[in-house]
Amino acid sequence: MTGSSNDHNIAGLKQKKVFKIIVLGDSGVGKTCLTYRFCEGQFLDKSEATIGVDFRERTVRICNEEIKLQLWDTAGQERFRKSMVQHYYRNVHAVVIVYDVTKPETFHSIASWMQEVESHGLTGAPRVLVGNKCDCGTPESRLATAYAQRLADKHGMPLFETSALLDSECDNVESIFMTLAHKLYSKQPLRVVRVEGEPGYGVVTLPRQRKPHITTGTDNCLCS
Amino acid sequence: MEDKNQESNIGDTCNLNGNCSPPTKNISIDLNHAKNIDDISTPSELKFDEDFEFEDPDVTAKRKEMEKCLENPDIVNIEKWQSFAKSKAGLIADEYRRRIWPLLVGVTRDEMTEPPSLDELSTHVEYNQVVLDVNRSLKRFPPGIPYEQRVALQDQLTVLILRVIIKYPHLKYYQGYHDVAITLLLVCGDKASFPLLCRLSYGPTAPLAPFMQTTMQPTQHLLNYMLPVLRRADDKLADCLDKAGVGTMFALPWYLTWFGHSLNRYSDVVRLYDYFLCAPPLFPVYVTAALVLHRAPAVYACDVDMAMMHCLLSRLPDDLPFEDILVTAKKLYDENDPTDLEAEVDALERREEEQRRLDEERLRQRRVERAGRNRAANGVLARLRRVLPRSPLARGAALAAAAALLAVYAYYRPDLFTR
Repeated sequence: MTGSSNDHNIAGLKQKKVFKIIVLGDSGVGKTCLTYRFCEGQFLDKSEATIGVDFRERTVRICNEEIKLQLWDTAGQERFRKSMVQHYYRNVHAVVIVYDVTKPETFHSIASWMQEVESHGLTGAPRVLVGNKCDCGTPESRLATAYAQRLADKHGMPLFETSALLDSECDNVESIFMTLAHKLYSKQPLRVVRVEGEPGYGVVTLPRQRKPHITTGTDNCLCS
Repeated sequence: MEDKNQESNIGDTCNLNGNCSPPTKNISIDLNHAKNIDDISTPSELKFDEDFEFEDPDVTAKRKEMEKCLENPDIVNIEKWQSFAKSKAGLIADEYRRRIWPLLVGVTRDEMTEPPSLDELSTHVEYNQVVLDVNRSLKRFPPGIPYEQRVALQDQLTVLILRVIIKYPHLKYYQGYHDVAITLLLVCGDKASFPLLCRLSYGPTAPLAPFMQTTMQPTQHLLNYMLPVLRRADDKLADCLDKAGVGTMFALPWYLTWFGHSLNRYSDVVRLYDYFLCAPPLFPVYVTAALVLHRAPAVYACDVDMAMMHCLLSRLPDDLPFEDILVTAKKLYDENDPTDLEAEVDALERREEEQRRLDEERLRQRRVERAGRNRAANGVLARLRRVLPRSPLARGAALAAAAALLAVYAYYRPDLFTR
């Protein structure tokens, strides 16, 4: 398996695989803090409005392979979306859509974000929905999980509720991006021989399933 | 800037996640994001003002001259103020800026009216967006400013912005406008900053007016002037940026906020504003080009990769020699008038448009192919593919094994096959 992974690098310029993830959502939902939390491991105290797009990255390890996750943090204000951010949808592998659990209007605009994602041909790309700031407000004031889950199911994407602020939620933020990373990793074209694990199963299980058949077959034969 | 208390209230109750539970880790000021204004104590504006003994003799002379002019400002012509603002060290200190900035843009005393209260403006459609951005602009306030004072300033900032977009309803607020507004507010106070911001926002030659249109298209167009300027100055560098496909987005916050958003040193920001307030509207784009030229060695050392290049260029180092950069920018402007560049910008935009069209075409084609492939691969085939090993060798071996097993089976149970 390790031998075949080298095959992949012949064409590529770099050793590491790079997965591009674009982070979308309304202004002030915490896109910058979320990406900062994942890439720097802490909360960004004095976050400012993102103008245009910002970029962060982190290297993670999946199946003993180093993968670079590039996070493109975008401006939330609508006027930046139309012409400006367009360019950054190019070659995107996955999408994170963020809303603020204490602000229903940010949840309601997910529909338009989804539209945007689809218009860029990213329908097939792995996507996750993230409800941020679950540390804020009262349980009553927060958007019900079931409600969000329904929407997530409708679009076939996993839902995460988290807080970029709480250190205790750090693992959760981690799992958002790691889920995507794993999905992207396993989603690589099937003709690449090195899809970890899978081919092995085929080789092993097929003969095993047949062997008992032979013995039962011969047993039957001897009886009859 | 008057306040020089050390880091007394970094951990105030207002954080960007809305004013909800207090942050668990307030004291963490050493963020790797970029050094923020608090971290840099040496080159702060205050220190600059105090260290008279280290002042450049030219600057001292200029200071004296400015003070003399300010004694009787009415007899001084605009060219004089402009030359102060543009020449080395600009207007030197905020005490001068406070009086000279309004003169540079031709604001009179009568225009400096009492601002309305925030409550009167809170019904505006952009109110929430403005408040959201203002609340997140902590970095732009002087370090150690008392909490109450900062909140009061933030309210003034919100009022200032809303007043302008109420006065000119066709002008749209953009994220970054607050960075310009805060700079004016900190220097000139709430009364003078309103007419100042109006002058910058409204009118055929108002430098911020293109940013406030319905779309960002005009902004993008103007920012594109950076590329032919660069190309004319350094062909190799322009090629390098072009190859990486980095575009102009890295410079967008520079242009939209006159660097207020991107520079950590307050003194650099106000120095640039001295110049921009009396320069042609497109001048900041030339500064952008000069800045990229200055960083050419770093660009060459960088991977030819969009992300890497964007990252490198968008984060500005703290020790940029802005006096030199301004001189270069002025030279670039004189040598490459915007009207001479129009054809090149048009060609560039046509090329981009063509690229976008090709991309879309490719996308559409890929979608059609994928749909076709999905139809072809019916359930059985897909299942078979999943069960069978993927390497051709292993697949062959499995097939051979299956055939042998079938033969053995048929040998022992011929009845099953003959019937």
